Order: sequence, then C-alpha cells, then structure tokens
Amino acid sequence: MPALLDARGLRKTYEGRVLLDGVDLGLERGTVTTVGGPSGGGKTTLLRILGLLVEPDGGQLLLDGTDVRTLVPHAVRRRVALVAQAPAMFPGTVLDNVRSGPRLASRDLDESAARELIVRAGLEPAFLGQDARALSGGEKLRVAVARALALRPEAWLLDEPTAALDDERTSVLVGLLRELAGEGAPVLVVTHDARVLEQLPARRLELVAGHLIEHAPGRRTS
Amino acid sequence: MSYVSVSLPQLLLSLGLMAIALAVSAQSRLGLEKDLLLGTVRAAVQLFAVGLLLTLVFRNQHPASVFGVIAVMVAVGGWTAARRIAHGPGTWVLFRYATLAVLVGGVVVLVPVFAFVIRPPLWYEARLLIPISGMILSNAMNGVALVFERVFASIHQDAPGVEQLLSLGATPKQAVDRHVRAAMNAALRPTINGLLTVGLVALPGMMTGQIVSGTAPDQAVRYQLVIMYQLVAVASVAGALAARFARRLSFSDREQLRTFADRRVG
Repeated sequence: MPALLDARGLRKTYEGRVLLDGVDLGLERGTVTTVGGPSGGGKTTLLRILGLLVEPDGGQLLLDGTDVRTLVPHAVRRRVALVAQAPAMFPGTVLDNVRSGPRLASRDLDESAARELIVRAGLEPAFLGQDARALSGGEKLRVAVARALALRPEAWLLDEPTAALDDERTSVLVGLLRELAGEGAPVLVVTHDARVLEQLPARRLELVAGHLIEHAPGRRTS
Repeated sequence: MSYVSVSLPQLLLSLGLMAIALAVSAQSRLGLEKDLLLGTVRAAVQLFAVGLLLTLVFRNQHPASVFGVIAVMVAVGGWTAARRIAHGPGTWVLFRYATLAVLVGGVVVLVPVFAFVIRPPLWYEARLLIPISGMILSNAMNGVALVFERVFASIHQDAPGVEQLLSLGATPKQAVDRHVRAAMNAALRPTINGLLTVGLVALPGMMTGQIVSGTAPDQAVRYQLVIMYQLVAVASVAGALAARFARRLSFSDREQLRTFADRRVG
C-alpha cells in the first residue's frame, strides 16, 4: 500500500550542522512508527518538516501521492496533526482551545463533542472550563491532543508526548495512539520513553547522524 | 495684528535659558552638560539650515523644489521608521515597505485635503504644502515604526503560539491576527489620545504658531482641527499598510513562520 505521508531524500542543514542527510520515510495508513536517537539530532526538525512548519533544504514530501509543494500549506496542515513536546495553549479555557481548530475553518464544535474529545485524550470533563494556560505540562499535552482530534486529521505526528505523563496517563495515551492507527491513520512518535516502546507495537527507527536506521525486530531499543 | 519679530541679539539672550539648564545639571551632577551643549548647537544649526532651505524654496517657488522637499521627508520618514526594529528582517528590507506606507498614507490624506478643504491659491504653495505635509508624514512615520516594532516583537515572543495555530490549519493572516490588531491599536492610541486631550492640556504647536503670528484664533482652530483629523487618518492608513507588510514579511511563500533568529533545533 502506498504511504499516506512519504518523505524522500529529505535534507536539512542548520548552522553548518547536517541534521537530515537524505532521509526516506514512508508512513503507511494504520501503522505506528517510533523515532529515537540522540538529542539534538534533528528528530524535532524532521517532525516539523513533515508538519510543514519548516522547509527542507532538499528532498520531497508527498501526501497521498501528491507533492505537498503543489498543495495549499494550511490545507495540508489541517490534515496532518502535529503535537509539540510542550504545546502552546491559546488564551482562554480548555473548551476554547479544543474549538480553535474547527473555528479556523469556520466550523463550530459543540460542547458535548469537545467534552468527548478531552475524555478521549485522557482528561476529566471538569477541565473544559479551566484556564488552559494555567494547566500542568501533562495536562496541556492532553489538551493539545484533544485540540488536534477536533480536526479529524488523517495522520499524526507527536514529539515526546509522554515526557510529562505518569505511568497511568502514558498507558491511556498509548491506547489512544493504537486506536488512531486502528482507525487507519499513520502515527509517528518521536520518543525515548521505555514505557511507550514497551507498550506500543511499532516500526522502530533511530535518527543517527542524519540518517534513519531501522532496528532489527526483537532488538532492544531503549 | 502684526507679528513680532525676534532679532539676533534677542535670540542670543534666550541662550540664557540653556545656561540655566546647564547650571542645574552641574549643580545636581546629572552629567548632562555635554549633551546640553551639543543639543544647543545642533538645534540651532539644524533649524537655521532648514530655515535657509525653506527661504530658498519659498523665494523660487517651483513644483520641483516643493515636491523635492516632500520626497526627502518621505524617504527620511521611511528610513527612521525602519531603523532599530528588533526581530525583523533588517533596516534595508523594511526601508522600502516603510517608505511606501508613509508615502501612500501621506498621499491618501494630503491630496484630498489640499484639493477640497484648504485649497491653496497656488497648487504647489510651499508655505502650506511643506509644513502641513511635514506634520502628516511624521505622524505616518511614527505609526509605521510602532506597528513594525510591535508586530515583529510580539510574533517573535509568541512564535510557538503562532506555529501552533499554523499546525491547526490557520492561514498566516489568522495565525497573527491577534498580534496585528494589538499593534495597530497601539499605533493609533497616541493620536487618538491627542484628539481627546487637545486644548485641555496643551495648545497644539501649529495653532500656537498661527496665533503668535497674528492669525485669528477661530481660523487657527479650524486649521488645527483639519490637521488633527488628518493625523488620525494618516496613522490609520500608514499603520494598516505597515501591518500588512509586516505580516507578509513574517511568513515564507510556503506559509511558514520566518525566523529572523532561528529558534528550535533538535
């Protein structure tokens, strides 16, 4: 099956340092992929390129077989969820935040739908009325997941999503990621978290010296 | 009524005022003496130079010289507005946009007023066109400078928030809407405050000048009102244009937030 999100020969240099040196990465529908590797090695940059926030110096990115350069960037971003490691919260309540994506596309999201989304992301319904900017890091992360869910994206990119979550919340999030893949979305997770690697069946990659290296099955990756 | 002239010896007497300021600075050890002396000399040199230039332009009134002076005002205004903008693309890039914003704001506000409201006897009447254009263009310059400074600084400060909006499918316009509106508000605020307090706190310079030189107060007031409305209009037009330019400069053609000093890697 062709990959929904297909990166070919991505290159990126930053301040003379080669972060991506011809990276090929195909994310097929319904699959989970994890990316590890040394910190500062370009994993976040790779996610930001796949999320169209950063332009690669070279290479090509295809969405469903179409070069994204021929598509309208904001329309592509709506289809690809990017959850940052420390996601920014907009001023207002959790409900305002969860509604922000649909609102940008002039669609309304009713409160009961928003409540379902935050519960699915692992937050209690009581959070809906809280000031989003006053939440803890782990809570903000879950609001960001709910906010992205509201757009029903076709693909998911997450950057160290469990860094601020305890074991229980991590299991809930891993469960959600498996569900999303089960619904047919490709899921890419940048993570070092042993708990995630243990619980989440996935294709395991490492970004080392600008190249993605595949781990042999069964080999320990943490 | 006739106007009261100031002779050169009388002008020299007024230097005594600067002596008072110097004495205060020395007495209180403010360390401002050097700047005060420099300022005394520079103010005199600059104003006499402008006076000389204006005398020349007034004496040989010609469209080319009048509009030459106004063109210099526009360019200097653009340059001043583009300088020292932190987190922006740099003075040289901004200069073109700032100059265009000042120029368009000036044309939109000045041409109709000279054509329909003030109606100078000669269409290039230097003693009307030059001082009034100067006031209007300098307000345009201040508005543009404020918008540039605010837009670039607040986008820089809230870059993660702007990129988060982009990630959710926002257009560049949607992603910085909040920042642009706040900047325009800040740019218009001083001029609007001027409207609200004029006459209560201080008499405006032009009105004072006209009254001192013998114009009837009711006429001076009418002139001043026209100017005040022009100041608001020019700040709006030039500020709105500057905001549009700043927004366009903040994103690449792939709708990515430009990083004038790159932020995150890793």
